[in-house]
Amino acid sequence: MSLAEIWSYDFLRYAILSSCILGPTCALLGVFVTLRGMAFFSDALAHSAVTGVALGFLVNEKRGLALDPMLVVLVFSVALATLMAWLFQRTNLSPDTVIAFSFTGSVAFGVVVIAWLEKYRLLDGILFGSIYSNGPSDLVKQGVLAVVVGVFLIGQMRRYTLATLSPELAHSRGIRTAWLNYGFALLIAATVVVALKMLGALLLSALIVIPAAGAKLVSRSFRGMLVFALLAGLAAPLAGVLVSCQINVPTGPTVVLANVAILVGCYLFRAIRAASGRA
Amino acid sequence: MSGTCHHRRDPDGRKALLTATGLGVRFGNYWALRGVDLEVRDGDMIAFIGPNGAGKSTLLKALVGLIAPTEGRVAAAEPGLRLGYVPQKLSFDLNFPISVGEFLTVNHPARFLWWGGVSRRFRADIAAALDSLHVGGLIGQPLGTLSGGQLQRVLIAAALLQQPRILLLDEPSASIDRRGTDELRELLASLHRERGLTVLFVSHDLHFVGNLAENVLCLNQTCCAIGSPQEVLTEHHLTATYGGPAPSWHHAAPPR
Repeated sequence: MSLAEIWSYDFLRYAILSSCILGPTCALLGVFVTLRGMAFFSDALAHSAVTGVALGFLVNEKRGLALDPMLVVLVFSVALATLMAWLFQRTNLSPDTVIAFSFTGSVAFGVVVIAWLEKYRLLDGILFGSIYSNGPSDLVKQGVLAVVVGVFLIGQMRRYTLATLSPELAHSRGIRTAWLNYGFALLIAATVVVALKMLGALLLSALIVIPAAGAKLVSRSFRGMLVFALLAGLAAPLAGVLVSCQINVPTGPTVVLANVAILVGCYLFRAIRAASGRA
Repeated sequence: MSGTCHHRRDPDGRKALLTATGLGVRFGNYWALRGVDLEVRDGDMIAFIGPNGAGKSTLLKALVGLIAPTEGRVAAAEPGLRLGYVPQKLSFDLNFPISVGEFLTVNHPARFLWWGGVSRRFRADIAAALDSLHVGGLIGQPLGTLSGGQLQRVLIAAALLQQPRILLLDEPSASIDRRGTDELRELLASLHRERGLTVLFVSHDLHFVGNLAENVLCLNQTCCAIGSPQEVLTEHHLTATYGGPAPSWHHAAPPR
């Protein structure tokens, strides 16, 4: 299939545009997710979408409403992210413990609700997503998300960087680290909700974490990591969509494999650089 | 626990910059610090000494505002008093990809947008801060590759970028060797002498303290003694502070 042919199909065009918007947005967020060691946090929020969607259907079915389930997912994810951020700050529970019980608890609750509603087919869409079901309204939502994440992170980038490197030093410079943490948790929640449709809960973390993880392996400066992560975040989903069209394989997993290929490439580059004594 | 003591020495009418009154900090049921009164005057060079768990770092952090007092208060003489805090160590991921210049850029107190790199607008400030500590050549080096002594200097440069009235250092000589300690002592003495910077520091190294500080505050959860090194670094005060045989020290060089 030629590029012109691919572009002529609405669903493929939307998938490519969606990749160009969401890939770099998730990668930008991923820079701080990776540096803060929060990869499991974004994974937990992605999986909590199972519960959000289940609750959305429950409310609609039992109350006779026609709410967009993604709205309920947004509310649920924001509430869960805020709760986890609060538990990190206010209790002596370690972050991985908080994430583990929030993650498993919310997914278990969601599966129980889905079983009760007998909507097992919902799980497929939530877990694996479908990039080809994107429409113009989804692109608008993704564009708004990209602007919000970009403005917020670039506006606060110096503060976030110092708070990530050393919360104590950041606090001594008058930076209110608790508010930054809440803001960051909410950004992850919003990104998960908007990007869920593209890759689904199982694969979404790859879009957030892997480009930044690869960039961290090969960068010696923060600017280097930022630029590399944005480029990898753009290249991997684009490559995934185009390759899956050519060889007729599922798109979501292909996007993840493209990300993994970049990560392996970064690892090899670093190993070669270290072997030649320039690391 | 002995009673409180007061640092109210005012021989030459220097202005008080920071005042702690009845300061107490409790963690759970444990009082790390209680009943401390301290007045820090413009141009002071004060060392906090005491055994492990005496509350030295807690006092320093309470003065910076990193720890909220459980009782008492810390008051600055003027709003927006600029403090330059240097932590005991920077516990960070050594693979964090950030250069020394970028680290100083994120520490700069001015408000500006940044997306990596060394700010062009403030490059001269940053280079000057590093040069003043004789580490100008490190500007492009990854932060995680620095030695303990180099990192200590970069942290002091970051604190100096705040253009502080008071420089507060938590165990600055803890992670460096003897030669590095001597260089650090010279450096702090020259900052104090040439810039008129007020310096507060915590140290276990009585040799370092005795050869640098003008005043020494002995802490063991509360203030045990305060005065010049000659007055305070005596067997009597050190035994009372450390609750056992006094650590030895000798005054090897002129204070500054």
